[in-house]
Amino acid sequence: MAVREIEPVVLDLDRLENLAESGYYNPYSMFDWPDAIEDGLPWMSESLTTLAGTEMWDELTREQQIALTKFEAINFFSLNIHGIRELLNDVVNRIHERTYADVSEFLHHFIGEENEHMWFFAQFCLRYEGRLYPAQPALKADSVEHLSSVARELIVFARILIFEEIVDYYNAHMATDESLPPIAREINRVHHQDESRHVAFGRMVFTNLLAQVARRDPAEVPVVAEYLESYLQYSIATLYNPAAYRDAGIPDALALRRRALEHPARIEAHEQVLKRTRKFLSKAGVGRELIK
Amino acid sequence: MQAVREFIVARNPKLDQLSDDLDLIDSRAINSLAFVEFIFLLEELTGESIDPEDLDLDDFRTLSAVSARFFTKEAV
Repeated sequence: MAVREIEPVVLDLDRLENLAESGYYNPYSMFDWPDAIEDGLPWMSESLTTLAGTEMWDELTREQQIALTKFEAINFFSLNIHGIRELLNDVVNRIHERTYADVSEFLHHFIGEENEHMWFFAQFCLRYEGRLYPAQPALKADSVEHLSSVARELIVFARILIFEEIVDYYNAHMATDESLPPIAREINRVHHQDESRHVAFGRMVFTNLLAQVARRDPAEVPVVAEYLESYLQYSIATLYNPAAYRDAGIPDALALRRRALEHPARIEAHEQVLKRTRKFLSKAGVGRELIK
Repeated sequence: MQAVREFIVARNPKLDQLSDDLDLIDSRAINSLAFVEFIFLLEELTGESIDPEDLDLDDFRTLSAVSARFFTKEAV
């Protein structure tokens, strides 16, 4: 991978590395997996489902509501699994290369932890529903070809960061939601704990690469801002999987998806989910206010 | 195919003419956000589940290609 135009990324990661080392755990033995999820319990927080706050939720039977939490939990964990696969690909391709030599110690922790996250998300889906949802379609042709190689590097890490921040919003909430089965709470809690380090790291790398982009050509910054906004919206939309509506026994899945995505209560919910990330991007000088 | 045309036209009000050979992807008539929904729509219309890991973009590039790939058995 020739990344000649990019200056080595040098960061002070002592604190994160120490935390990663001292917080190391064995996922294969730490979870108490029940044989089944207790009947009638939601699998994810009702307030975090894609129909929450809308009349569409109220119109569901209680059975459909619980079923929706179940299949949206499967969707959420599946999104994590496929997202982790992509990010592992990107990171494994860069560890110990010249540009990332200085951060490779932490990247080892990152790779190890992400592998384990992928494992316990998959365990939950396979044990309790017997399957994952497949990866959702994505138009990879959506071009970064017009961007410089350093901007493309920035995008790689930006996508990872955005994905992690969105997921973390959900994890943080569900980690302490007493209405959920303990195993669901635990998985969310453990992931949230590790992700706080990953997000901290991701923000540092992002800031470094953004500075390189801006130094090379400030005119690229608004172009990057536009791409990121588009990616934020794409990511939110992946939470709305028509397969979840269908599996929950809710008719007209595609129409429901469209209605929900555009509903004012949901738009407000999206703003809440993305608030912290948007604040970070704006402060970094690459927020959506740059887009014409 | 009518529903497919309507989907594209609804997202591209400036599009004068929707020819069967217009490159939907390169012309950005279908961008990445719309693409996901486009796939969902095709799944719904055909009752066929589309494997995202096995996507050939050329199947979606033009209306002719979409018609050939998904609607060759002319079901109503």
